[in-house]
Amino acid sequence: MAEQGGPAAQSKAVDESKVSAAELKKRAKADKQARRAAQKEQEGGPAEVAPATNGAHQEHLAQAQGVQQDQKGKVAHAKGLQQPKPSKQGGQEAKQDRGGPSQAQNIPLRSRAAPTAPSKELPKKDNTVVELLSHLYPIQRRPNLAGVSKDVHPAVLALGLQISTYEICGSSARCVAMLLAFKEAIQAYTTPRDTSLPRHLVSHHLSPQIDHLRSCRPLAESMGNAIRWLKKLIVELDPDKLEHEAKDFICEEIDRFVHERITVTDQAIAASARNQIRTGSVVLTYAKSAIVEKTVLQAHEQGTRFRVIVVDSRPLFEGKRLATSLMRAGLEVQYVPFSGLAHVVKDATLVLLGAHSMLSNGRLQSRVGTASIALQAHKADVPVIVCCESVKFSGKVALDSIVLNEIAPPEELLLSAVPEKPHTYPVGAATTAAVGKSAATGKDAPEDDEPAKLKTLHDWNSAANLRLLNPMYDITPAEYIRMVICEYGSVPPSSVPVVHRLANEGM
Amino acid sequence: MPHATHPPSPGLQALILCGPGLSLNTFTSTPSTLPKCLLPVANRPMLWYPLDWCHRMGIYDITLITPADAAPPLEAALRSHPVLTSLSGPRPEVLAPKGLEMTSGTAELLRLGEVQRAIKGDFVVLSCDFVSEIDGSRVMQQWMSLNPALAAASFSRRKGGLAVYYPTHGREGISSKKDETDFVATVPFSRPNVMPPTGSLRQGVEEVVMVMPTDTLNDTLDENKQALPIRQTLLAKHGNVKIRTKHRDAHVYFLPLWVKDFAARNEKFDSISEDVLGWWAKAGWQQGLAEKLGLDEVLAGKRSTDDEAANGGSVDEHEEVDATALSSTRSAPAPGRQPPQAFATRVGNSTVPPPRPKLAVPPLLAYMQPASPTQPLIRRIDTAPQLASLSLHIARLPPSDTSPLAHEHKIHPSATIGQQTRISQEDCLIAENVTIGTRCNIKESVVGANCEIGSNVRLTKCVLMDGVVVGDGVQMVGCIVGKRARVEGSSAVGVKAGEAEVDGAAMKGKGKAKQKASAQSGGEDDDKTKLTECEIAPFFVVEAGTEAKGETMKAFDPEGEVGGDEDEDVDVGDEDNEE
Repeated sequence: MAEQGGPAAQSKAVDESKVSAAELKKRAKADKQARRAAQKEQEGGPAEVAPATNGAHQEHLAQAQGVQQDQKGKVAHAKGLQQPKPSKQGGQEAKQDRGGPSQAQNIPLRSRAAPTAPSKELPKKDNTVVELLSHLYPIQRRPNLAGVSKDVHPAVLALGLQISTYEICGSSARCVAMLLAFKEAIQAYTTPRDTSLPRHLVSHHLSPQIDHLRSCRPLAESMGNAIRWLKKLIVELDPDKLEHEAKDFICEEIDRFVHERITVTDQAIAASARNQIRTGSVVLTYAKSAIVEKTVLQAHEQGTRFRVIVVDSRPLFEGKRLATSLMRAGLEVQYVPFSGLAHVVKDATLVLLGAHSMLSNGRLQSRVGTASIALQAHKADVPVIVCCESVKFSGKVALDSIVLNEIAPPEELLLSAVPEKPHTYPVGAATTAAVGKSAATGKDAPEDDEPAKLKTLHDWNSAANLRLLNPMYDITPAEYIRMVICEYGSVPPSSVPVVHRLANEGM
Repeated sequence: MPHATHPPSPGLQALILCGPGLSLNTFTSTPSTLPKCLLPVANRPMLWYPLDWCHRMGIYDITLITPADAAPPLEAALRSHPVLTSLSGPRPEVLAPKGLEMTSGTAELLRLGEVQRAIKGDFVVLSCDFVSEIDGSRVMQQWMSLNPALAAASFSRRKGGLAVYYPTHGREGISSKKDETDFVATVPFSRPNVMPPTGSLRQGVEEVVMVMPTDTLNDTLDENKQALPIRQTLLAKHGNVKIRTKHRDAHVYFLPLWVKDFAARNEKFDSISEDVLGWWAKAGWQQGLAEKLGLDEVLAGKRSTDDEAANGGSVDEHEEVDATALSSTRSAPAPGRQPPQAFATRVGNSTVPPPRPKLAVPPLLAYMQPASPTQPLIRRIDTAPQLASLSLHIARLPPSDTSPLAHEHKIHPSATIGQQTRISQEDCLIAENVTIGTRCNIKESVVGANCEIGSNVRLTKCVLMDGVVVGDGVQMVGCIVGKRARVEGSSAVGVKAGEAEVDGAAMKGKGKAKQKASAQSGGEDDDKTKLTECEIAPFFVVEAGTEAKGETMKAFDPEGEVGGDEDEDVDVGDEDNEE
């Protein structure tokens, strides 16, 4: 364990270069001591928790961990997350460089935007972070415009706000909106002297915009693909091209990209997928996907008579919007909360799902809860079909929802912005069962400071053994997916890497 | 106050309307020397507040619109006033359009050629008397995030607007029942997708469906036998209309570019708040109104004035793909299909006119600030009591407070304060170069720059603007003293006793002015000047020994606009002008 102090301290030094060296040393020492102490406790504590805690045992007592782990499991389970099994943990760890417990917190796993916050919060006991997923927490979702770089274009600024308030939500919507905002930003760009547009635009003008969007919400896979394409396009421009010509060219190309990769693609996918819906079908779908909506509407316009079941979940209630628009179009819609899933899945003849991203091992990353839908459908022998544009295909591989995910602010799970009066609502009664349960255990804990005062879920921050977790996505195993419909045709999930190579890497 | 970092430019420009200030006429009777926007509020020119507010939002493209005769003092102040010059960023532009009179309506102003040319993108309209503790970027954030998705594009014609309304009640010390109010009817805007983070203004954002000033409301009520007629269509479209009568328009409007054309097209519009917003709000639900107002063409990008061809750029909004429709938190609008025929088949189709495509009027949103004493302050200062209460409120703010309005020094280091003088630090503001004599007692007061206060003076809840001279032994409670006015105390008793009577007559208003000439009673206190709740005009001299309550002391206009002037009063006025 002793040799790990070195790398940990170093990675810290990178993170917090502003802190003086002496202070750094001191902190590293304290860290090390804490780790040692934890290690000692660990050995005495229950052995079977140890492999799963992964990074949690730095400053927490082993007993406390047991409780946390238990409750984390409950929360995760209730949300349809895969239970983090110790055996899987190993596999996932293998992907990162094996760093031991401390590294899991210090190394930003998924993006540059994710890094320092957890490590900064290390010294004090942080109640707001679920340790297992601590690498996913953003630094801070920007609640206001303060601190935004000056170079951010107004259109991007506005888009960032809309993305972070979920006014624009969904992988393709965000991608399209981003590209259109970039068009504005590029038109506002002027090349400084002594440099050329292909060399300067990306690094100095576009990257602050991208960083801003990333700080508002982690970028979607489709956005990443589009940005990669755009960067390549700009870098390969002829430097001798006149500036306005170059800008117009880029904007035209962006339009073409949106048209080809999203608009027309959506139509193609909908045209293909609607044939899966036959007269008398019962289509089950979850949350809201633009392609699924389009598919269903087109099938309806064709005159096919069928029924749609929309399953929905908190906190975004996207299914409501889908149900509304389908209802307006005159379809027969059944709207079911997530808890009623097992009941309705029996009736379904087809499950249509949208995607956040298709991963290279054929797994589907989509709104949290999708995995449960697919599992239930698989059990009931209902075919699960994913509609996904190739721009959302990814070269990444994930086995579980832990490595790649997005953690939204836990406050979004609360039902109202202002805490209700404590006596009217005892322990956050109306939230998910698991959370309520753990809140109850939190109340029973004798070491609680004010046992007399009833706490609501709004006080989750101060409850010592309660965490709220609000993940955005989960991973659906490939074996539950019958078919992926993309613009290259209907392919099995195993063909995702091929399509990805064709579509996104050859660009 | 220096700003730590410049916020990013939101791509907006600001128009600050520097109007005449009719209700503050004690202090603003001569706009060519002291326009309303330069009146000090807590030792800063009123204009500083909207300017600073804009700067904090990152808006540096600011145009001050003012009538021509107020332009020279305004420009001079922008160049030389220490508070205004300390603002960072480029100096705002002063625009004095030719046709602009003191009496012009705000919408009329928007129609003027110079103003039309000055507006190049989305804009914020502010009034110079706007004071806000709310960070402007938080309001702007709501405007930005609630616009339709693709409206991020700068020339989009689907953007909506955002106005701000503040409650006139529920705030001790500042709220007064006499405050002007507006009539606002709102419907809830679509619920936020998730709980907005604490501190977000999202909860207060609603969609306006009707708005008018209370005066207009009263007129309508009088015409209709004390009933307010409301169209059925409003209730048919919105089931949950909330009507507020105790809120007031803060006169801060975030407006998209097309509003400029909207105002230009409708010659009848007089004010922005009542007409432009009022009709816009109604057009959202009243059938056929949008077409009548020419909104359809405005929104389609047809310009009524063709001189702007270069200004707006090419208006090509061929949005073949709509991010809003793709978004998973929006539902598609109802398809524009023909509704199923309601008539029996024998009626035939000919009777049904083909439905016109419905015009989607962008929403007019409003941030309705909840009434609560803990809310940050938003106010307009257009009466003297408001000016006083707001100045005193700002004086109460502790220095280096989180509030952007707080002063760095409660008592400026350059002020000289005599011995045994007591100034209550927590609720007073003393500006630069103030001289205060001995044994004074100053509570809850604002003393402007270069004031001279004698000895034994008692000031309570007073606002002294710049350069006021207060003589020895004066007692003032709740007074507002204009620039360079003089309140004489016992040291000035050398003047003839008879003049005091003249002075007393000079005070106008219905209040009872009690005169105590030194000859009348021989007590010790009798030559003391005691003023309670008085307004004293700039350059006015209050004679020693005056005792008054609730008076407005101002020099008379030489034209004698105010009826019932006595000859000697005019003399006094002339005398004062010579001061």
